[in-house]
Amino acid sequence: MAESGSVEIRVDNEKLDMEFDGTIGELLRELKLMREEVVVKVNGKLAPETKNIFKSDKIHIIKVVFGG
Amino acid sequence: MTKCHCGEEGVVFLHYAEKHLCAEHFIRMFDRRFRKTVRMNKMLKKGDRVAVGLSGGKDSTVLLHSLAELRKDLPFDLIAITIDEGIAGYRERTMVPAKNECERLGIEQKIFTFKDLCGKSLDELVKNDSDDLPCSQCGVLRRYALNKAARECKVDKLAMGHNLDDMAQTLLMNIMRAEPSRIARMKDPMVKDSRFVQRIRPLMMTPEKEVAIYAMLKGISLEHVECPYARFAFRGHVRKLLNETEERYPGTKFKVMNSFLDMEDALKEGYGRGKLSQCPTCGEPSSKGICRFCSMIK
Repeated sequence: MAESGSVEIRVDNEKLDMEFDGTIGELLRELKLMREEVVVKVNGKLAPETKNIFKSDKIHIIKVVFGG
Repeated sequence: MTKCHCGEEGVVFLHYAEKHLCAEHFIRMFDRRFRKTVRMNKMLKKGDRVAVGLSGGKDSTVLLHSLAELRKDLPFDLIAITIDEGIAGYRERTMVPAKNECERLGIEQKIFTFKDLCGKSLDELVKNDSDDLPCSQCGVLRRYALNKAARECKVDKLAMGHNLDDMAQTLLMNIMRAEPSRIARMKDPMVKDSRFVQRIRPLMMTPEKEVAIYAMLKGISLEHVECPYARFAFRGHVRKLLNETEERYPGTKFKVMNSFLDMEDALKEGYGRGKLSQCPTCGEPSSKGICRFCSMIK
């Protein structure tokens, strides 16, 4: 089970500090980000949306789908 | 449970296949699909001279990398053609990784510019109060420029970085615009003409997100940057619609693409093979009188 609490989240270069308890997929929905358009690194490693987030985790959400 | 079937930690969950894959098995799956697409569609043969249309974005850079790998088993000549449209603050940023990747792989890169082609950059053309949206202008000019450049470089095939998302979006856009004849020539031209260099799309069965994951796992350096004109594009709306549908109904993009592949022959039959003439202004092939390139830059 994920631990509830404040996790360090970065969306591209923007830092967010928020309380979150759940999986990466649930975090993306909370942030209204489409999972088809981003990849997520947890503590520097690529991670699937099914992965639980823990209090000490550093989450980096990277937008990878662009127009052009 | 986020483990790959081998017991390693998964780095990706493929919703359409309902499985986790570790880095090694993801790369293996990606490479296998790439090679299968090339083989099943008879895209390449030994001794071909192939140019990658290399923008420096993730799709064309990964394509260059994968084709360079494929050469180890199927010998063919490989070069890269980069078109600099002249989009300030955008293209110069993606041209850096394009150049770096060519140098790293030892592949010759040829750069052509809109300015050389028609005397104006895309930024200058857009300022000229045209009726066409920037993306429509850019699309016509880039296709024209790539074909001309490919002919100049004497290549047999022009490899494009279009991925599964691009193909599914294009199909839906053509339906929404009531242009079914364009669907018929989405993959291959209706009329075979030696002045059109054959285009191949080895990533057409690979979802866009997986191209990005592959680039990251392979350590291919990329600039994540969006074209400043992208906000004008109809494609952006279709992309959003398709991605929302894919999230709710995983596998939708594959179903759209497979529907196209099933219909392709019937569409080609239905819309005829037509005839090509020659543009009276530039001499390039055209289906009716002055070609779109010439009418756009006049």
